[in-house]
Amino acid sequence: MAEAIMRVEGLSKKFGPFTALNGIDFEVYRGEVHALLGDNGAGKSTLIKILSGVHKPTSGKIMIEGKEVEFSSPRDASKAGIGTVYQDLALNPLMSVTRNFFMGREISRGPKPFSWLAMDQMAHITHDEMVKIGIDISDPSQAVGTMSGGQRQTLAIARAIHFGARVLILDEPTSALGQKQQMEVLKTMQRVRLRGDIAIIFITHNEVHAKLVADRFTFLALGEVIGRGTRADLVGEDIRHLMAGGVDIGDLQKELEAVRSNRTAAAS
Amino acid sequence: MSQTNPVALGRKEADRFNKGGRLRVLLRRAEVGAFFVMVAVVVAIAIASNGVAFNALGLKNNLSIISQFGIIATGACLLMIAGEFDLSIGSMIGFAGMAMAMMLKWGLPFGLGSATPATAFFVTLAMTLALGWLIGFIVVRSRLSSFIVTLAFLFFLRGLTEVCFRLINQSTQISGLPDYKQDSWFAAMFGGQSFGWLYDLWFALGGNLNRSGEQWVTGFDARVVWWLLIAAAAGLLMARTQAGNWIYATGDNRESARANGVPVEKVRISLFMLTAFCSTIFAACQVFDTNTADAAKGNLKELEAVAIAVVGGTLMTGGFGTVLGVVFGAVTFGLVANAVFFIPAIDGSYYRVFVGVVLLTAVFLNESVRKRITGGI
Repeated sequence: MAEAIMRVEGLSKKFGPFTALNGIDFEVYRGEVHALLGDNGAGKSTLIKILSGVHKPTSGKIMIEGKEVEFSSPRDASKAGIGTVYQDLALNPLMSVTRNFFMGREISRGPKPFSWLAMDQMAHITHDEMVKIGIDISDPSQAVGTMSGGQRQTLAIARAIHFGARVLILDEPTSALGQKQQMEVLKTMQRVRLRGDIAIIFITHNEVHAKLVADRFTFLALGEVIGRGTRADLVGEDIRHLMAGGVDIGDLQKELEAVRSNRTAAAS
Repeated sequence: MSQTNPVALGRKEADRFNKGGRLRVLLRRAEVGAFFVMVAVVVAIAIASNGVAFNALGLKNNLSIISQFGIIATGACLLMIAGEFDLSIGSMIGFAGMAMAMMLKWGLPFGLGSATPATAFFVTLAMTLALGWLIGFIVVRSRLSSFIVTLAFLFFLRGLTEVCFRLINQSTQISGLPDYKQDSWFAAMFGGQSFGWLYDLWFALGGNLNRSGEQWVTGFDARVVWWLLIAAAAGLLMARTQAGNWIYATGDNRESARANGVPVEKVRISLFMLTAFCSTIFAACQVFDTNTADAAKGNLKELEAVAIAVVGGTLMTGGFGTVLGVVFGAVTFGLVANAVFFIPAIDGSYYRVFVGVVLLTAVFLNESVRKRITGGI
């Protein structure tokens, strides 16, 4: 097996008396999608905030290509090649696609900050980077507000990759989107995966989506890893079982049935 | 199987955005609403005043007030695009005018001797820029709404202006200063004339005559040049420079701008200094033109600056607007403000009635334009 691009060992995070994460180990490889699953409150958000340099871990280490790294700010993490696409995408709806793509990192000539923007060059790069991962926007000068949710997600991903992300962290990219848009995003992820040089960490609580694109799975519950494996290792029922934090929800249908019959009984 | 539409199945997401032809692209520009309102007002006033509003003297007088409005509205527009407000513009004008006139009359502070127009201007500019920085610093650090912070400075600076006048000058106005613009090129730069060649040319071509057949008007006010310079610089800044992209980003969504590395604090503080700069230019033009100063100067100008920015298509909540739109807005607003002088049939008190009507009309139009551009946000 090739060397992991990023490896996390014994990562723990305490907020005062509260243990948010406890001894997390996992690793991601180039050209793979690593799904990070868990219910609300499992510690997914804390973990990605540590990986993207927002929080510092209480103990444990993060290694990139075998070298231990320490992030004191999100800027450090992005310099080390970790690109995080948060749920809000950090896009500005009133501004054009190109202006969003290069926001804060404009290509310009002359003394800053009054340097002259190379608008045409930036528009070309934006268009090309978006086409590479599957969306041909008709006009890079259109406002982001006119784009669909899936297109916006793609824009944010293309931007992270263009600015040097080798590990791409996607924070619930498919939630809050319609069915078709979700498929668009999954297709985009697949294209990024096929490039072969980028590792994707896919945070989700949708096991169907995870099964569709992920090569490797890590399940979190109450701040600890409760299961992991490759796609081959896991069968469908395992995934659902682990998603729920190890509790059986197989009898959901029966429980719902029970609620309904109780109500009918009370009514009659 | 339910019914499906074979055409709909072949469509892509990108097809839903109709880019349209050349005209459509032009009609999607942000300033198109402001432009049509301006054209309507120009035509209406030309007809109602029987052309008087645009004869040699009418043009000079109209452009004088248009450029006054334009100078402060440009600063207000950039600040609004960055998502902030400045209600202290009017008081800053009063303060700057007081400071300049006071120095010219009573000498520089700390016994540094008598002032020339240049030293009076630059010492004043240093003070107003420092005040602009202070306002910005307070807004950024306290995270209070700039509306409240600058409202406080509206009262504070107006009060300070009056107090200084009474303590040092024993009167709330200064008049009868020497006519500096006659022999100081620096004062003439603010209070003198500009575009004399245009009126000379007009005269040479047989127009611009007074009743005895001599040349009637000799040029525009110097502030027209200041307005054009400030508007051109601001327009290029917003459309074509990195700083412009930062200003739009800061006003659109501050958190996402920050996350992408835009220095949102510096941007906002600089823009509060810009509105202070514009107020100082406004005051300098007034002082060196009339050789007077008054504690009430600039009263309500902050609201007019905001109104012009809005007529010009600037979004109140930030992130959207253009300087060209504000140029159109200033022309509209200046003409409407002056209309009562050129249309003999109407009473002077109609001024604010017109302003209200134009403001609301322009805002409705601008909103519909903006929604077409930005997808209904």
